Amino acid sequence: MRVKLLYHTDIEALKRVLAQRGVPFDPELLMDHVVYMFEIEDCSRVTTHQLVRHRAASYDQESQRFSAATKEGMVTPPNIQSSEAAYKAYDEALKVIYSSYDKMVAAGVPKEDARYILPSAIKTKLVMTLSARSLMHIVWQRTALQAQWEIRELAATLHNLAKEATPELWTKVIER
Amino acid sequence: MWSSPMPERTIAVAMRRCFSTKVIEEIEAELEQKGPEYWKYLLTKALQDKSLDVLEHFTMTFFLEGANDAEVGGLIRNFPYLRATLLKGSDWMLSMNGRTLVELWRDPRGKEFAGLVVSELDSRSVCPVFSELAFGERVHAS
Repeated sequence: MRVKLLYHTDIEALKRVLAQRGVPFDPELLMDHVVYMFEIEDCSRVTTHQLVRHRAASYDQESQRFSAATKEGMVTPPNIQSSEAAYKAYDEALKVIYSSYDKMVAAGVPKEDARYILPSAIKTKLVMTLSARSLMHIVWQRTALQAQWEIRELAATLHNLAKEATPELWTKVIER
Repeated sequence: MWSSPMPERTIAVAMRRCFSTKVIEEIEAELEQKGPEYWKYLLTKALQDKSLDVLEHFTMTFFLEGANDAEVGGLIRNFPYLRATLLKGSDWMLSMNGRTLVELWRDPRGKEFAGLVVSELDSRSVCPVFSELAFGERVHAS
């Protein structure tokens, strides 16, 4: 998985306006106004299904209607990777799925229909834009122990990037 | 007060993300190589196809003076994606994205406010192509 911060609000510009108006700086004032745009690459569609449940954000994701799927672009969970028997079963299933996918596309089925058999393990890419408040909600919920390993890793990465870009807003946020 | 850098290019990035398997650096390089005319082509297509989701990645924050609770509250009731924080007296900080601005502009309940925002964007030449394409009737009228 790879995450890149594409832009974020210039917090100094907002602070200057607050100072000009005699309003003391308080991170809480800026939570709905500071935004981040991220590129997220090579996480599974399992995880992006969980991510887009956080509705107060904007998403644009690589579409399977138009791009061809390949067996190489998969996320394999550690619990499958670590078991020889499990990995064998997983790999056999993928071979069947991708063989069928390729046959359907070759037979003229549009990718948007052939994709109905694709697995959720497939890697995807998306851009996400959201406010600091929305991102904090994601960090709070998705770094919890109950959250799944892949989205926990994603939430922790998003947290680190946002904290590095705008440290003043992230002083009170703790990962669970 | 603040708006995200190169709005037309950012919208183009979001559009290409949907249709490309490339990594972000390759998408950005492709957009740089093809230049602003291509960004304009993509934006025109998004507006024509009513694929306004890509406009959501262009974001902006404004300072609004002399507005009372009822005025701002009315706007937020009708346009819930608009974010407002009362700073002091009747001074507010407002944030939105390009899609919300277009939706405000197209709705009689939001048009007057959208007009103020568009004028501010125009006076700073933040997004001349976006402004021309999304709010063209105003551009033609002036």
